[in-house]
Amino acid sequence: MTVLPEVRHIRASTLEEALELIDDDVVPYAGATELVPAMRLGVRRPEAIVDLKRLQELVRVDVDMATNTVRLGAAMTHRAVADDSIVSEFLPSLAEAAAHVGNVRVRNSGTLGGNLSFAEPRSDLSVVLSALDATVELASAGGERTVPVRDLILGAFETCLAPEELLIAVTVPFEPAGMSYWKLQSYERPTVGIASLPVEGGWKIVVGAATERPEEVIIATNDIDAVEAFVNSLDLSDDLSGTPDYKRSILRSRISRIVGLP
Amino acid sequence: MSTSVNIVFELNGRKIDARVSARTTVVELLRDTFRLTGTKVSCELQVCGVCTVLVNSLAVSACSMLACDLDGTSLTTIEGLMQGTELHPIQEAFIETNAFQCGFCTPGFVMMTLALLDREPNPTVETTRDWLDGNICRCTGYQPIERAVQVASRRLAEIESASD
Repeated sequence: MTVLPEVRHIRASTLEEALELIDDDVVPYAGATELVPAMRLGVRRPEAIVDLKRLQELVRVDVDMATNTVRLGAAMTHRAVADDSIVSEFLPSLAEAAAHVGNVRVRNSGTLGGNLSFAEPRSDLSVVLSALDATVELASAGGERTVPVRDLILGAFETCLAPEELLIAVTVPFEPAGMSYWKLQSYERPTVGIASLPVEGGWKIVVGAATERPEEVIIATNDIDAVEAFVNSLDLSDDLSGTPDYKRSILRSRISRIVGLP
Repeated sequence: MSTSVNIVFELNGRKIDARVSARTTVVELLRDTFRLTGTKVSCELQVCGVCTVLVNSLAVSACSMLACDLDGTSLTTIEGLMQGTELHPIQEAFIETNAFQCGFCTPGFVMMTLALLDREPNPTVETTRDWLDGNICRCTGYQPIERAVQVASRRLAEIESASD
């Protein structure tokens, strides 16, 4: 057994208290799914950790029928997202993706906000949420800003979150009919993930897991040259789950099928 | 605000009052403090499943959960399954179907099966695979484990109907 470095523990009783504390050395956590391994590997060496689990406002689901959006608290576990009746009704692809993140144990502890904040490239949720034009609320003691998920994730394990900022909620427009999310997965994380949804004259495609961050394109129905150009433009990772050529050929055939080519 | 935290939780039905270091994981607390060594450690990345325990009836990885987060919860480990000298029906099913060889992964598989059958008393093979997907066994080839889950499911249903 490896031992974690010494750290102080703070249980935040209000969001305001948590926001006052968070900075480079005082890091927030909920599921600890990403934080514990990061501390174990020495990637993060916080002086203190702030437990957000008891903040009820971070596990709320609110549906807004005026703007056709669902607002999800960032500390909701993947299991809570997958099991929520509002999410299942208005965001079925997100519910389905959340139901298949990692494994049962990861889904019971890992959270929506943690997943996005850590920005592990091999993530299902960032792909689905980018495709849906979801936004995140980033709060700090100084105020709040709203950022699209696609702008939150800058690269592998890299976000636009400032050290004193906390991702508190994700707001997702209702899923349009015809959307789907498909992934290929041999190990504990996806090899490639593809979200697709119909747009005027074609399809919006968002690809992730094999790329550093979700990559988006609009492809007209049956436009084989556009599929080819898109998959060739992607900088695909080379890892245990496959070579770039392998991933490219999967993407080519799958996206071709989505946009209507035989 | 300190490097150690007071926690109160239930461990296999017994109330525990403890002071733990913030950096202690649940599996360290179980193995080093309580000498409950049925919960194993291997990958320490939530991938292999040997450290599976139930917190409030939900399966979690004891290697990646901080002990301070046990406060207010009910924790069940493999040691909590026996009734007196009687093995749990899931444990019996694993024996009957030869669902282990070296046994290192077995406590994790048994705990995950317990979580599965709690939620889905009569799971399909598909559902079983979905739930056990995050537990790795290098001996059995998994098929005896799938059979163990089926046997345990039937056995628990029989016990349930006998007690009605």
